[in-house]
Amino acid sequence: MNKQKVILVACGTGIATSTVVCKKVEDLIKANNINARVIQCKISEVPGYEDEADLLVTTTIASRAYKIPVIKAINYLTNINTQKVDQAIIDALKD
Amino acid sequence: MLLKVVQYILNLGPTVILPLTITIMGVCFKLGFKKSFKSGITIGVGFVGINLVIGLLTSNLGAATSMMVTRYGLHLSILDVGWPAAAAISWASPIAAIMIPIAMLVNVVLLFLKFTNVVDIDIWNYWHFTAAGATVLVLTNGNWGLAILAAIIYEIAVLKIADWTAPMVEDFFGLEGVSLPTGSTAACGLIGIPVAKVVGMIPGIKNLKADPESIQKRFGVFGEPMMMGLVLGVLIGFLAGYDIGKCIQLGIIMAGVMFLMPRMVKILMEGLIPISEGVREFLQKTNFGKDRKLTIGLDAAVAVGHPAVIATALVLVPITLFLAVILPGNKVLPFGDLTTICFYVAFIVGSTKGNIIHSVISGTVVMALALLMATNIAGFHTEIAKMAQFAMPKGTTMISSLDLGGNFLNWIIVKVFQLFTGGFIF
Repeated sequence: MNKQKVILVACGTGIATSTVVCKKVEDLIKANNINARVIQCKISEVPGYEDEADLLVTTTIASRAYKIPVIKAINYLTNINTQKVDQAIIDALKD
Repeated sequence: MLLKVVQYILNLGPTVILPLTITIMGVCFKLGFKKSFKSGITIGVGFVGINLVIGLLTSNLGAATSMMVTRYGLHLSILDVGWPAAAAISWASPIAAIMIPIAMLVNVVLLFLKFTNVVDIDIWNYWHFTAAGATVLVLTNGNWGLAILAAIIYEIAVLKIADWTAPMVEDFFGLEGVSLPTGSTAACGLIGIPVAKVVGMIPGIKNLKADPESIQKRFGVFGEPMMMGLVLGVLIGFLAGYDIGKCIQLGIIMAGVMFLMPRMVKILMEGLIPISEGVREFLQKTNFGKDRKLTIGLDAAVAVGHPAVIATALVLVPITLFLAVILPGNKVLPFGDLTTICFYVAFIVGSTKGNIIHSVISGTVVMALALLMATNIAGFHTEIAKMAQFAMPKGTTMISSLDLGGNFLNWIIVKVFQLFTGGFIF
Protein backbone atom coordinates (compact mmCIF):
# COMPACT_ATOMS: atom_id res chain seq x y z
CA MET A 1 0.00 0.00 0.00
CA ASN A 2 1.74 3.14 -1.10
CA LYS A 3 2.03 6.11 1.23
CA GLN A 4 -0.74 8.69 1.12
CA LYS A 5 0.38 11.76 -0.76
CA VAL A 6 -0.06 15.16 0.77
CA ILE A 7 -1.19 18.03 -1.43
CA LEU A 8 -0.93 21.61 -0.21
CA VAL A 9 -3.48 23.99 -1.64
CA ALA A 10 -2.44 27.55 -0.94
CA CYS A 11 -3.69 30.99 -1.77
CA GLY A 12 -3.24 34.49 -0.43
CA THR A 13 -5.55 34.16 2.55
CA GLY A 14 -5.98 30.44 2.90
CA ILE A 15 -9.72 31.01 2.69
CA ALA A 16 -10.84 32.56 -0.53
CA THR A 17 -9.57 31.12 -3.77
CA SER A 18 -8.01 28.09 -2.12
CA THR A 19 -11.45 26.87 -1.04
CA VAL A 20 -12.57 26.70 -4.66
CA VAL A 21 -9.39 24.92 -5.70
CA CYS A 22 -9.48 22.56 -2.72
CA LYS A 23 -12.84 21.25 -3.81
CA LYS A 24 -11.65 20.76 -7.36
CA VAL A 25 -8.53 18.91 -6.22
CA GLU A 26 -10.51 16.71 -3.85
CA ASP A 27 -12.98 15.84 -6.59
CA LEU A 28 -10.08 15.13 -8.92
CA ILE A 29 -8.30 12.71 -6.61
CA LYS A 30 -11.55 10.94 -5.83
CA ALA A 31 -12.45 10.57 -9.49
CA ASN A 32 -9.01 9.19 -10.29
CA ASN A 33 -8.74 6.98 -7.22
CA ILE A 34 -5.55 8.61 -6.05
CA ASN A 35 -4.44 8.02 -2.49
CA ALA A 36 -3.91 11.58 -1.32
CA ARG A 37 -5.16 14.17 1.09
CA VAL A 38 -5.35 17.93 0.90
CA ILE A 39 -4.13 20.58 3.34
CA GLN A 40 -5.44 24.08 2.77
CA CYS A 41 -3.31 27.02 3.86
CA LYS A 42 -2.00 30.50 3.17
CA ILE A 43 0.98 30.90 0.89
CA SER A 44 3.00 32.29 3.80
CA GLU A 45 2.36 29.08 5.77
CA VAL A 46 3.78 26.76 3.10
CA PRO A 47 7.34 26.67 4.53
CA GLY A 48 5.85 25.12 7.66
CA TYR A 49 4.25 22.28 5.68
CA GLU A 50 6.89 21.80 3.01
CA ASP A 51 8.60 18.81 4.58
CA GLU A 52 5.52 16.66 4.85
CA ALA A 53 3.99 17.55 1.49
CA ASP A 54 4.48 16.09 -1.96
CA LEU A 55 2.92 18.79 -4.09
CA LEU A 56 1.92 22.44 -3.91
CA VAL A 57 -1.09 23.65 -5.85
CA THR A 58 -1.47 27.38 -5.63
CA THR A 59 -3.69 30.14 -7.00
CA THR A 60 -1.26 32.83 -6.08
CA ILE A 61 2.33 33.54 -6.90
CA ALA A 62 4.84 31.19 -5.32
CA SER A 63 7.15 33.36 -3.29
CA ARG A 64 10.22 31.23 -3.87
CA ALA A 65 11.39 27.85 -5.08
CA TYR A 66 10.10 25.08 -2.84
CA LYS A 67 11.36 21.56 -2.16
CA ILE A 68 8.21 20.22 -3.76
CA PRO A 69 6.83 20.69 -7.28
CA VAL A 70 4.50 23.66 -7.72
CA ILE A 71 1.43 23.75 -9.94
CA LYS A 72 -0.34 26.99 -10.76
CA ALA A 73 -4.06 26.57 -10.40
CA ILE A 74 -5.30 29.94 -11.57
CA ASN A 75 -7.07 28.25 -14.48
CA TYR A 76 -9.45 26.71 -11.95
CA LEU A 77 -10.59 30.22 -11.12
CA THR A 78 -10.89 31.55 -14.64
CA ASN A 79 -12.34 28.23 -15.79
CA ILE A 80 -10.20 28.36 -18.91
CA ASN A 81 -8.35 25.17 -19.86
CA THR A 82 -8.88 23.42 -16.54
CA GLN A 83 -7.93 20.05 -17.98
CA LYS A 84 -4.36 21.28 -18.24
CA VAL A 85 -4.21 21.73 -14.48
CA ASP A 86 -6.05 18.44 -13.85
CA GLN A 87 -3.49 16.58 -15.91
CA ALA A 88 -0.54 18.34 -14.31
CA ILE A 89 -1.74 17.35 -10.85
CA ILE A 90 -2.39 13.74 -11.82
CA ASP A 91 1.04 13.48 -13.42
CA ALA A 92 2.77 15.02 -10.41
CA LEU A 93 1.17 12.48 -8.08
CA LYS A 94 1.97 9.47 -10.23
CA ASP A 95 5.37 8.47 -8.90
CA MET B 1 -50.97 40.80 4.52
CA LEU B 2 -48.04 40.25 2.15
CA LEU B 3 -46.23 43.15 3.76
CA LYS B 4 -46.62 41.48 7.15
CA VAL B 5 -45.11 38.27 5.85
CA VAL B 6 -42.16 40.08 4.27
CA GLN B 7 -41.61 42.08 7.45
CA TYR B 8 -41.72 38.91 9.51
CA ILE B 9 -39.09 37.26 7.32
CA LEU B 10 -36.88 40.35 7.35
CA ASN B 11 -37.00 40.41 11.12
CA LEU B 12 -35.71 36.87 11.35
CA GLY B 13 -32.34 38.25 10.42
CA PRO B 14 -29.51 37.30 8.12
CA THR B 15 -29.17 33.77 9.42
CA VAL B 16 -32.50 33.08 7.76
CA ILE B 17 -32.73 35.63 4.97
CA LEU B 18 -29.48 34.93 3.24
CA PRO B 19 -29.88 31.14 3.14
CA LEU B 20 -33.39 31.67 1.82
CA THR B 21 -32.24 34.07 -0.88
CA ILE B 22 -29.32 31.89 -1.90
CA THR B 23 -31.58 28.89 -2.20
CA ILE B 24 -33.93 30.82 -4.46
CA MET B 25 -31.04 32.20 -6.49
CA GLY B 26 -29.54 28.76 -6.88
CA VAL B 27 -32.80 27.44 -8.23
CA CYS B 28 -32.99 30.40 -10.63
CA PHE B 29 -29.53 29.54 -11.90
CA LYS B 30 -30.76 26.00 -12.51
CA LEU B 31 -28.57 24.43 -9.82
CA GLY B 32 -31.34 22.23 -8.50
CA PHE B 33 -33.20 22.58 -5.24
CA LYS B 34 -31.13 20.18 -3.14
CA LYS B 35 -27.82 21.80 -4.05
CA SER B 36 -29.20 25.31 -3.59
CA PHE B 37 -30.74 24.41 -0.25
CA LYS B 38 -27.47 22.92 0.98
CA SER B 39 -25.66 26.10 -0.08
CA GLY B 40 -28.16 28.18 1.76
CA ILE B 41 -27.85 26.21 4.98
CA THR B 42 -24.08 26.23 4.74
CA ILE B 43 -24.16 30.02 4.61
CA GLY B 44 -26.42 30.13 7.64
CA VAL B 45 -24.00 27.90 9.52
CA GLY B 46 -21.14 30.15 8.46
CA PHE B 47 -22.92 33.06 10.10
CA VAL B 48 -23.46 31.12 13.27
CA GLY B 49 -19.76 30.33 13.41
CA ILE B 50 -18.67 33.89 12.75
CA ASN B 51 -21.04 35.18 15.38
CA LEU B 52 -19.41 32.86 17.89
CA VAL B 53 -15.93 34.11 17.14
CA ILE B 54 -16.84 37.78 17.05
CA GLY B 55 -18.46 37.33 20.45
CA LEU B 56 -15.25 35.76 21.72
CA LEU B 57 -13.21 38.64 20.37
CA THR B 58 -15.33 41.53 21.57
CA SER B 59 -16.00 40.15 25.02
CA ASN B 60 -12.41 39.21 25.80
CA LEU B 61 -10.41 41.83 23.99
CA GLY B 62 -13.01 44.51 24.65
CA ALA B 63 -12.69 44.05 28.40
CA ALA B 64 -8.91 44.21 28.22
CA THR B 65 -8.75 47.27 26.00
CA SER B 66 -11.10 49.23 28.23
CA MET B 67 -8.78 48.42 31.16
CA MET B 68 -5.89 49.59 29.00
CA VAL B 69 -7.66 52.84 28.31
CA THR B 70 -8.39 53.39 31.99
CA ARG B 71 -4.85 52.65 33.09
CA TYR B 72 -2.81 54.37 30.41
CA GLY B 73 -5.19 56.68 28.70
CA LEU B 74 -4.23 54.77 25.57
CA HIS B 75 -7.27 55.53 23.53
CA LEU B 76 -7.26 52.41 21.46
CA SER B 77 -10.83 51.62 22.29
CA ILE B 78 -12.10 50.66 18.84
CA LEU B 79 -11.49 47.04 17.95
CA ASP B 80 -10.40 46.16 14.44
CA VAL B 81 -12.39 42.99 13.88
CA GLY B 82 -10.80 42.23 10.54
CA TRP B 83 -12.10 41.56 7.06
CA PRO B 84 -13.67 38.19 7.81
CA ALA B 85 -16.04 39.83 10.26
CA ALA B 86 -16.52 42.89 8.02
CA ALA B 87 -17.38 40.61 5.11
CA ALA B 88 -19.81 38.60 7.20
CA ILE B 89 -21.42 41.79 8.47
CA SER B 90 -21.84 42.98 4.89
CA TRP B 91 -23.29 39.68 3.73
CA ALA B 92 -25.72 39.92 6.64
CA SER B 93 -26.95 43.33 5.58
CA PRO B 94 -30.54 43.46 4.34
CA ILE B 95 -29.33 44.67 0.95
CA ALA B 96 -26.74 41.93 0.51
CA ALA B 97 -28.91 39.39 -1.22
CA ILE B 98 -30.31 41.80 -3.73
CA MET B 99 -26.87 43.22 -4.43
CA ILE B 100 -25.75 40.00 -6.08
CA PRO B 101 -28.05 40.33 -9.09
CA ILE B 102 -27.77 44.13 -9.09
CA ALA B 103 -23.98 44.13 -9.09
CA MET B 104 -23.99 41.51 -11.81
CA LEU B 105 -26.40 43.57 -13.88
CA VAL B 106 -24.31 46.71 -13.44
CA ASN B 107 -21.22 44.84 -14.62
CA VAL B 108 -23.08 43.47 -17.65
CA VAL B 109 -24.42 46.90 -18.57
CA LEU B 110 -21.00 48.51 -18.22
CA LEU B 111 -19.48 45.77 -20.35
CA PHE B 112 -22.02 46.32 -23.10
CA LEU B 113 -21.44 50.07 -22.89
CA LYS B 114 -17.70 49.37 -23.21
CA PHE B 115 -17.22 51.42 -20.05
CA THR B 116 -15.21 48.61 -18.50
CA ASN B 117 -13.36 45.52 -19.68
CA VAL B 118 -13.59 43.65 -16.41
CA VAL B 119 -15.76 40.55 -16.19
CA ASP B 120 -16.05 40.40 -12.41
CA ILE B 121 -16.74 36.80 -11.44
CA ASP B 122 -15.52 37.28 -7.89
CA ILE B 123 -18.94 37.11 -6.26
CA TRP B 124 -17.46 36.73 -2.82
CA ASN B 125 -15.94 40.19 -3.02
CA TYR B 126 -19.24 41.79 -3.95
CA TRP B 127 -19.35 42.26 -0.19
CA HIS B 128 -17.20 45.38 -0.57
CA PHE B 129 -19.91 46.99 -2.73
CA THR B 130 -22.58 45.84 -0.28
CA ALA B 131 -20.57 47.29 2.62
CA ALA B 132 -20.64 50.75 1.08
CA GLY B 133 -24.37 50.35 0.61
CA ALA B 134 -24.89 49.07 4.15
CA THR B 135 -23.01 52.04 5.60
CA VAL B 136 -25.19 54.47 3.66
CA LEU B 137 -28.27 52.47 4.70
CA VAL B 138 -27.42 53.30 8.30
CA LEU B 139 -26.58 56.90 7.42
CA THR B 140 -29.91 57.48 5.72
CA ASN B 141 -31.83 55.51 8.32
CA GLY B 142 -32.97 52.79 5.97
CA ASN B 143 -33.16 54.37 2.53
CA TRP B 144 -32.65 51.33 0.26
CA GLY B 145 -32.57 53.42 -2.89
CA LEU B 146 -29.64 55.55 -1.73
CA ALA B 147 -27.89 52.55 -0.23
CA ILE B 148 -28.01 50.63 -3.48
CA LEU B 149 -26.90 53.74 -5.35
CA ALA B 150 -23.88 53.99 -3.04
CA ALA B 151 -23.04 50.34 -3.65
CA ILE B 152 -23.26 50.81 -7.41
CA ILE B 153 -21.00 53.88 -7.30
CA TYR B 154 -18.47 51.89 -5.29
CA GLU B 155 -18.64 49.04 -7.79
CA ILE B 156 -18.07 51.34 -10.75
CA ALA B 157 -15.05 52.88 -9.00
CA VAL B 158 -13.55 49.47 -8.27
CA LEU B 159 -14.10 48.23 -11.81
CA LYS B 160 -12.39 51.31 -13.24
CA ILE B 161 -9.43 50.94 -10.88
CA ALA B 162 -9.23 47.30 -11.89
CA ASP B 163 -9.15 48.36 -15.56
CA TRP B 164 -6.46 50.92 -14.81
CA THR B 165 -4.26 48.42 -12.95
CA ALA B 166 -4.84 45.48 -15.30
CA PRO B 167 -1.65 46.11 -17.31
CA MET B 168 0.32 46.03 -14.06
CA VAL B 169 -1.39 42.79 -13.03
CA GLU B 170 -0.28 41.26 -16.31
CA ASP B 171 3.24 42.68 -16.41
CA PHE B 172 4.35 42.66 -12.80
CA PHE B 173 2.30 39.80 -11.42
CA GLY B 174 2.39 37.71 -14.57
CA LEU B 175 -1.37 37.11 -14.55
CA GLU B 176 -2.51 37.28 -18.12
CA GLY B 177 -6.03 38.34 -18.88
CA VAL B 178 -6.74 38.92 -15.21
CA SER B 179 -7.78 42.01 -13.27
CA LEU B 180 -8.31 42.50 -9.55
CA PRO B 181 -11.60 44.24 -8.72
CA THR B 182 -11.21 43.69 -5.00
CA GLY B 183 -12.51 46.61 -2.93
CA SER B 184 -9.76 47.06 -0.35
CA THR B 185 -6.94 46.46 -2.80
CA ALA B 186 -8.42 49.00 -5.20
CA ALA B 187 -9.10 51.65 -2.56
CA CYS B 188 -5.59 51.46 -1.09
CA GLY B 189 -4.11 51.36 -4.57
CA LEU B 190 -5.94 54.56 -5.47
CA ILE B 191 -4.12 56.45 -2.74
CA GLY B 192 -0.97 54.37 -2.52
CA ILE B 193 0.07 54.36 -6.17
CA PRO B 194 0.39 58.17 -6.49
CA VAL B 195 2.13 58.33 -3.08
CA ALA B 196 4.60 55.68 -4.18
CA LYS B 197 5.27 57.65 -7.33
CA VAL B 198 6.11 60.73 -5.31
CA VAL B 199 8.30 58.70 -2.95
CA GLY B 200 10.12 57.33 -5.95
CA MET B 201 11.08 60.84 -6.96
CA ILE B 202 12.60 61.92 -3.64
CA PRO B 203 16.36 62.16 -4.01
CA GLY B 204 18.19 59.83 -1.68
CA ILE B 205 15.24 57.52 -1.16
CA LYS B 206 14.60 56.85 -4.78
CA ASN B 207 17.58 54.57 -5.12
CA LEU B 208 17.05 52.45 -2.02
CA LYS B 209 16.20 48.78 -2.40
CA ALA B 210 15.69 45.79 -0.13
CA ASP B 211 15.75 42.05 -0.48
CA PRO B 212 12.45 40.16 -0.04
CA GLU B 213 14.02 36.87 1.01
CA SER B 214 15.88 38.21 4.03
CA ILE B 215 12.89 40.30 5.08
CA GLN B 216 10.65 37.26 4.96
CA LYS B 217 13.10 35.40 7.13
CA ARG B 218 13.38 38.09 9.76
CA PHE B 219 9.81 39.33 9.82
CA GLY B 220 8.16 36.02 8.97
CA VAL B 221 6.44 35.66 12.31
CA PHE B 222 4.33 38.75 11.62
CA GLY B 223 2.60 36.78 8.89
CA GLU B 224 1.39 34.02 11.15
CA PRO B 225 -2.09 34.83 12.46
CA MET B 226 -1.95 32.52 15.48
CA MET B 227 1.37 33.89 16.66
CA MET B 228 0.25 37.47 16.13
CA GLY B 229 -2.91 36.80 18.11
CA LEU B 230 -0.94 35.22 20.93
CA VAL B 231 1.64 37.97 21.17
CA LEU B 232 -0.88 40.79 20.90
CA GLY B 233 -3.20 39.12 23.38
CA VAL B 234 -0.45 38.72 25.97
CA LEU B 235 0.80 42.26 25.37
CA ILE B 236 -2.64 43.79 25.73
CA GLY B 237 -3.33 41.69 28.81
CA PHE B 238 -0.11 43.02 30.30
CA LEU B 239 -1.08 46.59 29.50
CA ALA B 240 -4.49 45.94 31.01
CA GLY B 241 -2.87 44.97 34.26
CA TYR B 242 -3.73 41.29 34.15
CA ASP B 243 -1.63 38.80 36.09
CA ILE B 244 0.64 36.56 34.06
CA GLY B 245 -1.83 33.69 34.00
CA LYS B 246 -4.64 35.81 32.66
CA CYS B 247 -2.32 37.35 30.09
CA ILE B 248 -1.50 33.95 28.70
CA GLN B 249 -5.17 33.02 28.71
CA LEU B 250 -6.03 36.13 26.74
CA GLY B 251 -3.17 35.37 24.37
CA ILE B 252 -4.42 31.92 23.60
CA ILE B 253 -7.99 33.11 23.18
CA MET B 254 -6.82 35.78 20.74
CA ALA B 255 -4.69 33.25 18.88
CA GLY B 256 -7.86 31.22 18.66
CA VAL B 257 -9.82 34.16 17.29
CA MET B 258 -7.21 34.88 14.61
CA PHE B 259 -7.19 31.25 13.56
CA LEU B 260 -10.88 30.43 13.84
CA MET B 261 -12.38 33.53 12.26
CA PRO B 262 -11.10 32.80 8.74
CA ARG B 263 -12.20 29.19 9.15
CA MET B 264 -15.76 30.29 9.81
CA VAL B 265 -15.68 32.62 6.84
CA LYS B 266 -14.54 29.66 4.76
CA ILE B 267 -17.81 27.94 5.60
CA LEU B 268 -19.71 30.97 4.38
CA MET B 269 -17.71 31.01 1.18
CA GLU B 270 -18.31 27.35 0.52
CA GLY B 271 -22.01 28.04 0.57
CA LEU B 272 -21.52 30.79 -1.98
CA ILE B 273 -19.44 28.78 -4.43
CA PRO B 274 -22.25 27.14 -6.43
CA ILE B 275 -23.90 30.52 -6.97
CA SER B 276 -20.65 32.13 -8.00
CA GLU B 277 -20.01 29.36 -10.49
CA GLY B 278 -23.48 29.95 -11.88
CA VAL B 279 -22.77 33.65 -12.32
CA ARG B 280 -19.42 32.94 -13.90
CA GLU B 281 -20.95 30.54 -16.43
CA PHE B 282 -23.50 33.15 -17.36
CA LEU B 283 -20.96 35.95 -17.72
CA GLN B 284 -18.53 33.90 -19.70
CA LYS B 285 -21.17 32.73 -22.12
CA THR B 286 -22.42 36.22 -22.88
CA ASN B 287 -20.91 37.86 -25.90
CA PHE B 288 -19.87 41.41 -25.16
CA GLY B 289 -18.57 42.29 -28.56
CA LYS B 290 -15.72 41.27 -30.79
CA ASP B 291 -12.05 42.05 -30.31
CA ARG B 292 -12.48 43.16 -26.75
CA LYS B 293 -9.51 42.83 -24.46
CA LEU B 294 -11.64 41.55 -21.64
CA THR B 295 -10.06 40.65 -18.32
CA ILE B 296 -11.44 38.22 -15.79
CA GLY B 297 -11.92 39.86 -12.40
CA LEU B 298 -10.51 37.69 -9.62
CA ASP B 299 -9.90 37.98 -5.91
CA ALA B 300 -6.67 39.87 -5.23
CA ALA B 301 -5.60 36.84 -3.22
CA VAL B 302 -4.09 35.55 -6.45
CA ALA B 303 -1.47 38.28 -6.38
CA VAL B 304 -0.54 38.54 -2.72
CA GLY B 305 1.81 35.56 -2.83
CA HIS B 306 4.42 37.67 -4.58
CA PRO B 307 7.54 37.85 -2.40
CA ALA B 308 7.75 41.64 -2.59
CA VAL B 309 4.11 41.97 -1.51
CA ILE B 310 4.59 39.59 1.41
CA ALA B 311 7.80 41.29 2.50
CA THR B 312 6.23 44.75 2.36
CA ALA B 313 3.20 43.54 4.29
CA LEU B 314 5.32 41.90 6.98
CA VAL B 315 7.34 45.04 7.64
CA LEU B 316 4.14 47.10 7.79
CA VAL B 317 2.70 45.04 10.66
CA PRO B 318 4.86 46.51 13.43
CA ILE B 319 4.74 49.88 11.67
CA THR B 320 0.94 49.88 11.71
CA LEU B 321 0.88 48.96 15.39
CA PHE B 322 3.31 51.76 16.11
CA LEU B 323 1.23 54.22 14.06
CA ALA B 324 -1.88 53.18 15.97
CA VAL B 325 -0.25 54.22 19.21
CA ILE B 326 1.36 57.50 18.16
CA LEU B 327 -1.08 58.82 15.59
CA PRO B 328 -3.11 61.65 17.06
CA GLY B 329 -6.78 61.11 16.45
CA ASN B 330 -6.52 57.37 16.02
CA LYS B 331 -8.63 55.20 18.28
CA VAL B 332 -8.46 51.92 16.42
CA LEU B 333 -6.53 48.97 17.82
CA PRO B 334 -5.30 47.11 14.74
CA PHE B 335 -5.87 43.43 15.20
CA GLY B 336 -7.99 41.41 12.80
CA ASP B 337 -6.62 43.07 9.68
CA LEU B 338 -2.90 43.02 10.49
CA THR B 339 -2.45 39.93 8.37
CA THR B 340 -4.56 41.44 5.57
CA ILE B 341 -2.06 44.22 4.86
CA CYS B 342 -0.75 42.25 1.89
CA PHE B 343 -4.04 43.02 0.09
CA TYR B 344 -3.74 46.73 0.76
CA VAL B 345 -0.22 46.99 -0.63
CA ALA B 346 -0.56 44.68 -3.63
CA PHE B 347 -1.13 47.45 -6.17
CA ILE B 348 1.41 49.71 -4.50
CA VAL B 349 4.11 47.06 -4.79
CA GLY B 350 3.15 46.45 -8.40
CA SER B 351 3.43 50.13 -9.19
CA THR B 352 6.92 50.38 -7.68
CA LYS B 353 7.90 47.25 -9.62
CA GLY B 354 8.67 45.39 -6.43
CA ASN B 355 10.65 48.07 -4.65
CA ILE B 356 10.03 47.19 -1.03
CA ILE B 357 11.43 50.39 0.49
CA HIS B 358 9.21 52.65 -1.60
CA SER B 359 6.24 50.38 -1.02
CA VAL B 360 6.74 50.40 2.74
CA ILE B 361 6.96 54.20 2.84
CA SER B 362 3.84 54.56 0.71
CA GLY B 363 2.18 51.79 2.72
CA THR B 364 2.88 53.65 5.94
CA VAL B 365 1.04 56.70 4.62
CA VAL B 366 -1.87 54.55 3.45
CA MET B 367 -2.10 52.69 6.77
CA ALA B 368 -2.02 55.96 8.71
CA LEU B 369 -4.93 57.25 6.64
CA ALA B 370 -6.71 53.91 6.99
CA LEU B 371 -6.46 54.11 10.78
CA LEU B 372 -7.89 57.62 10.82
CA MET B 373 -10.72 56.74 8.43
CA ALA B 374 -11.49 53.57 10.38
CA THR B 375 -11.72 55.68 13.53
CA ASN B 376 -13.90 58.22 11.78
CA ILE B 377 -16.58 55.80 10.60
CA ALA B 378 -16.44 53.35 13.49
CA GLY B 379 -19.88 54.52 14.52
CA PHE B 380 -21.39 53.34 11.24
CA HIS B 381 -19.34 50.16 11.27
CA THR B 382 -20.67 49.26 14.71
CA GLU B 383 -24.23 50.05 13.65
CA ILE B 384 -24.13 47.76 10.64
CA ALA B 385 -22.72 45.04 12.87
CA LYS B 386 -25.65 45.50 15.19
CA MET B 387 -28.01 45.38 12.23
CA ALA B 388 -26.40 42.09 11.30
CA GLN B 389 -27.48 40.90 14.70
CA PHE B 390 -23.95 40.07 15.69
CA ALA B 391 -23.33 39.64 19.37
CA MET B 392 -22.10 42.97 20.67
CA PRO B 393 -21.40 43.05 24.39
CA LYS B 394 -23.32 45.56 26.45
CA GLY B 395 -21.41 48.72 27.00
CA THR B 396 -19.50 50.99 24.75
CA THR B 397 -17.34 48.71 22.64
CA MET B 398 -17.11 50.10 19.17
CA ILE B 399 -15.76 48.07 16.31
CA SER B 400 -14.23 48.90 13.00
CA SER B 401 -11.86 47.31 10.52
CA LEU B 402 -8.96 48.40 8.36
CA ASP B 403 -10.57 46.66 5.43
CA LEU B 404 -14.00 48.26 5.51
CA GLY B 405 -13.53 51.17 7.89
CA GLY B 406 -10.14 52.12 6.53
CA ASN B 407 -11.34 51.86 2.97
CA PHE B 408 -10.96 55.15 1.13
CA LEU B 409 -13.72 54.52 -1.42
CA ASN B 410 -16.18 53.53 1.28
CA TRP B 411 -15.20 56.52 3.39
CA ILE B 412 -15.49 59.10 0.64
CA ILE B 413 -18.84 57.73 -0.52
CA VAL B 414 -20.18 57.97 3.02
CA LYS B 415 -18.86 61.52 3.38
CA VAL B 416 -20.42 62.63 0.10
CA PHE B 417 -23.77 61.14 1.03
CA GLN B 418 -23.48 62.74 4.45
CA LEU B 419 -23.06 66.08 2.76
CA PHE B 420 -26.14 65.57 0.64
CA THR B 421 -28.40 64.14 3.26
CA GLY B 422 -27.12 66.17 6.17
CA GLY B 423 -27.10 62.98 8.20
CA PHE B 424 -24.43 63.80 10.70
CA ILE B 425 -25.60 61.25 13.24
CA PHE B 426 -22.15 60.04 14.14
